[in-house]
Amino acid sequence: MNQSNDQTPPKPHVILRVNKLTHKVDLESNTLTILQGVNLEINQGDSVAIVGRSGSGKTTLLGLLAGLDTPSEGSIELDGANISALSEDERAALRAQRVGFVFQSFQLLPALTALENVMLPLELAGRQNAEARARELLQRVGLGERLTHTPRQLSGGEQQRVAIARAFACEPAILFADEPTGNLDNHTGKDVSDLLMALNREQGTTLVMVTHDEQLAARCGRQFHIEGGVLSEPETRQKAAL
Amino acid sequence: MAATGKLQSVRREWRERDVRVVLAALIIAVATVATIALFASQLQSTLVSSASSFLAADRQLESENGQPLPPAWLVEAQQRGLETAEMTEFSTMVFGGGNFQLVSVKAVSDGYPLRGEVEIRTGFDESRQTLQSGPAPGEVWINPRLLRLLELNVGDELELGTRKLVIGSLLEREPDGGFSMAALAPRVMMHQTDVASTSVLQEGSRVSFVYLFAGDAAELLGFEQWLQPQLQPSQEWRSVRDGETLSASLERAESFLLLGGSLAVLLAAVAVAVASRQYAVSQRDTVALLKTLGVGSPRIGRLYLRRLAVWGVVGMVGGLLVALPLFWGLSQLLGDVLDQPVDVYLDPKALTPAVLTALVSLFAFAYPPIRRLRKVPAMRVLRSQPGESRRELVPDFIIGIVGVFGLVWAYAGDVQLVIALLVGLGLLLATLVLLGWIMVLGLRKVRGGGNAWRLALLGLYRHRQASLSQIAVFAMTLMLATTLILVRTSLLDDWRAQLPEGAPNHFMVNISPGAVNDIDEFWSSRGQPLDAMYPMVRGRMTLLNGEPVKEAVSKDERVNALNRELNLTWMDALPENNRIVDGEWFTPGKTDGVSVESELAGKLGITPGDTLTFTIGSEQITETVTSIRSVQWDSMTPNFYVAFSPDSSLRQLPATWITSFFLPKTEKNELNAFSRQFPTVSVLEVDNIIERIQLIVVQITQAIEAILGLILAAALVVMAAVVSATLQDRQREGALLRTLGGRQSLLVRATMLEFALLGGFAGILGVVAAEAAVYALQLRMFEGNFRVHWQVVLPIPFISAVVLSLFGRWQLRPVLTVSPMLLLRRLE
Repeated sequence: MNQSNDQTPPKPHVILRVNKLTHKVDLESNTLTILQGVNLEINQGDSVAIVGRSGSGKTTLLGLLAGLDTPSEGSIELDGANISALSEDERAALRAQRVGFVFQSFQLLPALTALENVMLPLELAGRQNAEARARELLQRVGLGERLTHTPRQLSGGEQQRVAIARAFACEPAILFADEPTGNLDNHTGKDVSDLLMALNREQGTTLVMVTHDEQLAARCGRQFHIEGGVLSEPETRQKAAL
Repeated sequence: MAATGKLQSVRREWRERDVRVVLAALIIAVATVATIALFASQLQSTLVSSASSFLAADRQLESENGQPLPPAWLVEAQQRGLETAEMTEFSTMVFGGGNFQLVSVKAVSDGYPLRGEVEIRTGFDESRQTLQSGPAPGEVWINPRLLRLLELNVGDELELGTRKLVIGSLLEREPDGGFSMAALAPRVMMHQTDVASTSVLQEGSRVSFVYLFAGDAAELLGFEQWLQPQLQPSQEWRSVRDGETLSASLERAESFLLLGGSLAVLLAAVAVAVASRQYAVSQRDTVALLKTLGVGSPRIGRLYLRRLAVWGVVGMVGGLLVALPLFWGLSQLLGDVLDQPVDVYLDPKALTPAVLTALVSLFAFAYPPIRRLRKVPAMRVLRSQPGESRRELVPDFIIGIVGVFGLVWAYAGDVQLVIALLVGLGLLLATLVLLGWIMVLGLRKVRGGGNAWRLALLGLYRHRQASLSQIAVFAMTLMLATTLILVRTSLLDDWRAQLPEGAPNHFMVNISPGAVNDIDEFWSSRGQPLDAMYPMVRGRMTLLNGEPVKEAVSKDERVNALNRELNLTWMDALPENNRIVDGEWFTPGKTDGVSVESELAGKLGITPGDTLTFTIGSEQITETVTSIRSVQWDSMTPNFYVAFSPDSSLRQLPATWITSFFLPKTEKNELNAFSRQFPTVSVLEVDNIIERIQLIVVQITQAIEAILGLILAAALVVMAAVVSATLQDRQREGALLRTLGGRQSLLVRATMLEFALLGGFAGILGVVAAEAAVYALQLRMFEGNFRVHWQVVLPIPFISAVVLSLFGRWQLRPVLTVSPMLLLRRLE
């Protein structure tokens, strides 16, 4: 996947391109601008951290990038498709094929076992080998012995591992992570972020992560800061990550 | 101050969704039960007063042995605030226009009728007028046919004993013109004060004295309790209920209302149970937090108990506030249906079941899971703890069952009803366990694929526990609603079968054997063929197995049939509406044996093989009972307590014949020709009675339909409450599925299918359980014949599937309109 060519480095494939993105929310008395004039280009295989304080608009940005919502102004191109122009169903189809998610609060379905939770996106995408693939991924995240446990029977770290296995189940081109270690202690958080990074590398996935954990952000190739809805990239360490 | 605090806390709680659901369920519970109970009570008082006119009063007291009733009883009744009137009935000959005629006289006092109206005409060409009084002294009102038989005119005089009375009007209809075999001759109505001057009544005359009473239920009951111990066996206390034709209809309608009310109670309890359970689950984190803040278990227990008490008050007050306008609306509707103003009667006693329902629902259903909140460990704050074990739910279940059946029992006072419902529910639960097992086994195999069917099946499997409990609640709701629909259908069928179009509406009695063929020909030639003709011989049943029959009967059993002469008959074939319940019908050629009506046989303890002796004039006939037969008394055809074999010795005795037939209103004039040709035959016109019964049946039907509508609405609300109990989970799941790439259309189809499957399963289970419950009920309460009602049963699973899939679609609404990201964050 990552075959480099020493003579002419291939032109990096831009997987996510954001142009003049603005997002406003109408409140009862006034209109709140959450994001303002955001421009962003992310290449295939990049790992990107968006850092900012609570309420700075980072989760909203993540949701827009993933096509979960449509912006008030501006355009977002995800893997060549202008998601602002896509219908809800077309965006869903794009997510099913190309996008994975990891949430701060894990978002596992409580009625399902670990195995069934991981199988869910595979079943939605109509994959035939859903169970085998889910087993394999759960083995990979170290939960091979906990397949039949429900989220309630798992610790927070274990739940997030299941969520990570689910995120990688459909081999997404891009993975969005919203504070993936936000609900975990330092030690567990580190384990989970190690796993996330490792899988990201193994699968060549693009990672876009929202976090306020500076240490976790430092492990990403690029870091952006967001404050008052404005995005900036103070320092680029793209190469360091590779 | 405390009250304000409570109110504020209610307002604060109202903001919590689960509390809203519990309170809504409670308010609906109280409102439904109260509305039904109030309306049932209103309906009963309206119907009974409408039906009371069959007695011309609310109650009648009749003495059949020729002895007058003690006047002191009338005085007592008046002192108790009852309205009273008197009536004397006897048969005698009248003379007029040179002709004699046997007539049946009814002498009435002032005040008659206490209920209903008399309809008269002052001439054949005059219009009818309705009055609430009888004739004035010195005047008689007579049956129009009698006028023709005597060849007299209105205004002429008629000799009755030693007295001449003026024919004031033609008597078209009397409110208590019920059909009784004793009153065979044309009617003459006169004033009570004229009776003595006729000198007709002598010692030993066959006469019946009747007192009429009217008043409110409590006064009547008080008087009845005072009177009953003093009654002689020959004195009979009659209410509308004792009248043969109408009482069956009224009792069935009351049973239905009772059943409807009981089902409303059950539905209400289910709604409260589901909603409060959901509330208890949602409170676990709060309790854990309170514990970490140092609040002890007892205090937590008290806190929630107080909360329940406040809910109880809010539920009751709110429920009644909803019920009263609903009740008022229904009463107005009833007034429209009856085409008469209805006195809205708010029976405070009718509110008891509603209040009881609220209390029992809260304390038998809502309290157990909330009580267990005390045991929630504080550790839950830090780490999610396993939920309740199934073993913990067993006592809840038992308390719930005991609570709800106690409630239905207290409400309906009928153990059989409670058992029937228990059997239905038991069957339902057993089937559910089986279904759950099949579901887990079967659906586990469904894997992969993104089409809506697979997703729907997977959804059922994913939510297997929630699905099963939802199916249980839906199935129970549907069972209750279906039971009601089925009972209504069979009630209406029974009523229609009882008095079909073209049912006999005239009786002919006193037909001499020689006239039988001529009469048959008379009507056949006019296109109105007669039903079967039966011979009739009057006689008393005197000995049972050689013992005087009155001694053979215990004193508690007052058997009317023994106090008067019975109409004995002989017959070849078993009449259409009779059924042999024991023994065998007469075989041709056999000359002995009698067949006895089943209720009389039951009261006297008669079984096939017993011997009965009848005294007919100076003759005695002893026969062995060969069969017991059920008779449909309300069928408007000649019915007999005792039938002899076609070749029995009864044939040797003088008999007259009786028959019934249908005569359309347009052909009524034929009766005049008939009377001229057969002057000795009496024709009893019961078409008016039939019309009135049919009108009452229509009224009851409409009322039942209104109540059914109300209960179905309540069932729908229960379903909505149950579905919305999982609203949050399903919305979160929907949002997640969308985030994970599930397309809207797929999600919609899968969810609707999943709910349709739930609804379909629940529908099938519900109707099966309902048929079982109806089977059990039918055996006891409604005396109908059980059969599967395909036309009702088949659409229900389908309707339930459609309704539930729409519910499912409705639940999904926010998932489809709000960004999944926002929804996930909001639901966290």
